[in-house]
Amino acid sequence: MVEPLLRVRDLTKIYSGKGHRIVACEDVSFDVYPGEVLGIVGESGSGKSTVLQCLFQDVVPTSGAAYLTSFEGGERNMFEADRRERRELRTHRMSMVYQNPRQGLNLMVTAGGNVAERLLAADWRRVSDIRAKASDYLVRTEVPIERMDDFPAFFSGGMQQRVQIAKALANNPELVLLDELTTGLDVSVQAGVLDLVRDIQSKYGVTAIIVSHDLGVIRLLADRTLVMKDGHVVESGLTDQILEDPQHPYTQLLVNCVTN
Amino acid sequence: MVSATGVRALIDERGAEFEGYTFGFLDDMAKREIRRTILKAVAIPGHQVPFGSREMPIARGWGTGGLQITLACVGADDTIKVIDQGDDASVNAVNLRRLIAKTTGARETLTTGEATLIQTRHRIPEERMTAAQMLILQVPIPEPLRHVERSVAAARAMHAEADYARMWLALYEDVVRNGEVTAGAGYPVMVNGRFVMAPSPIPRWDIPKLNQAETLFLFGAGREKRIYAVPPFTNVQPLEFDDYPFEIEAFPNMSCRRCGATDSYLVTSPQADGSTLSVCSDTSYCDDVLAGRKVENQW
Repeated sequence: MVEPLLRVRDLTKIYSGKGHRIVACEDVSFDVYPGEVLGIVGESGSGKSTVLQCLFQDVVPTSGAAYLTSFEGGERNMFEADRRERRELRTHRMSMVYQNPRQGLNLMVTAGGNVAERLLAADWRRVSDIRAKASDYLVRTEVPIERMDDFPAFFSGGMQQRVQIAKALANNPELVLLDELTTGLDVSVQAGVLDLVRDIQSKYGVTAIIVSHDLGVIRLLADRTLVMKDGHVVESGLTDQILEDPQHPYTQLLVNCVTN
Repeated sequence: MVSATGVRALIDERGAEFEGYTFGFLDDMAKREIRRTILKAVAIPGHQVPFGSREMPIARGWGTGGLQITLACVGADDTIKVIDQGDDASVNAVNLRRLIAKTTGARETLTTGEATLIQTRHRIPEERMTAAQMLILQVPIPEPLRHVERSVAAARAMHAEADYARMWLALYEDVVRNGEVTAGAGYPVMVNGRFVMAPSPIPRWDIPKLNQAETLFLFGAGREKRIYAVPPFTNVQPLEFDDYPFEIEAFPNMSCRRCGATDSYLVTSPQADGSTLSVCSDTSYCDDVLAGRKVENQW
């Protein structure tokens, strides 16, 4: 019996202010097993990105728990981590690829430097080693190595996204979170980036959670899928099963839209 | 602290130069606050402690932080020396020294060995300082993360979490672009293995002097309202990569034109005839060598 790498239980995020209360996600529970890709699909506003932001601790959840096997033996809720532990989680255990590369990259730092930042955070102190490792990751993500010392500000959107993926892979995180990674790209570049992620996944067996509104992305990458609507998980199961035999009316609608 | 009768006695004894002023110019509450801040700074080496920087009779940015520390620490029996980039004779150094002496009755000196308390801008003396002495450095920018993080709150959080990846990244970028870490004055250092600290704009030459020194180093930033310290016998290491080690300035085949020293930090100025003139930056050291005094305690 394989133990899950990540267990999420009753994750809830409610934004409340004067006279309004917005439920971004509520009672979301799921497991992620080592080496698998979990897809989360849903329309915008369904709370799928909120789930990722909570896991990467960009956003503080209202309630709920998440247990990562490598964090205190999976015994302690990682939302209770103090600031220092949280940073350690973000630099050593998890990484995030944002929809907008500007959020995940420092555009005023070279492509190699962006990848190096995670290595430096892990106390790498030899420039030649750092450069060798960073170029290794950039090669994996098909960023031309001669652009290593250029600024991502001058890169195309697709290449920025590839640098971001290289950065996310640096330091071998246990869990990679991918948030709408192809949404801002045009169709031909999308295909390239998706192929890349699939290749990397099959070669290096990365565990990932991928959030997308695009069933095509989910079909290509995800082993298992959660379908979210209005902040709730309405259906979950193997990706093939969900796409071929959707049970929930919303999933049926979603699958229909694509196949027709 | 000198009691009221003590001040009276001092005025009687040494003339009425500071008649009408409090002892040490600052009021007692200010001195007390600064001393407490210093105690905290010493307790947490390299950590910047905020304090209520007072208005001084010199402009902010001219050494008000150092001056406030000096005035809070100086006693009537102290001998003070003020250095401005190694030089005791600059207008700023002379005026600061005069202000300190006039308001406290402390003796003035130009000689490193004689001073009990030295306030300095941008240099640490060449002559080894002792446990009986104290060095007060004037600091323009106390935050070493200023260049890598614009938000003061975020920089403080980075210090709190010992998260210096961004600082290292800046050094990495420097190496990638320039082939070396180019930081000249104010090379960032790690204090006691915990806090990255701005050592004030001292040259690299002076950085090793901070490590495991007998002397207490106090850093005062008046404009930025921060005090921090390196207590005696504290580890102070420059941030360096294994394959790009920290190096101090080298002066190959150069010597001081005035005293002939080859083992001191030299400053070079262009001359009217197109040549250059190199002399010791530390005038006290230069005078000692010139007078044939042996300065055995060089760092």
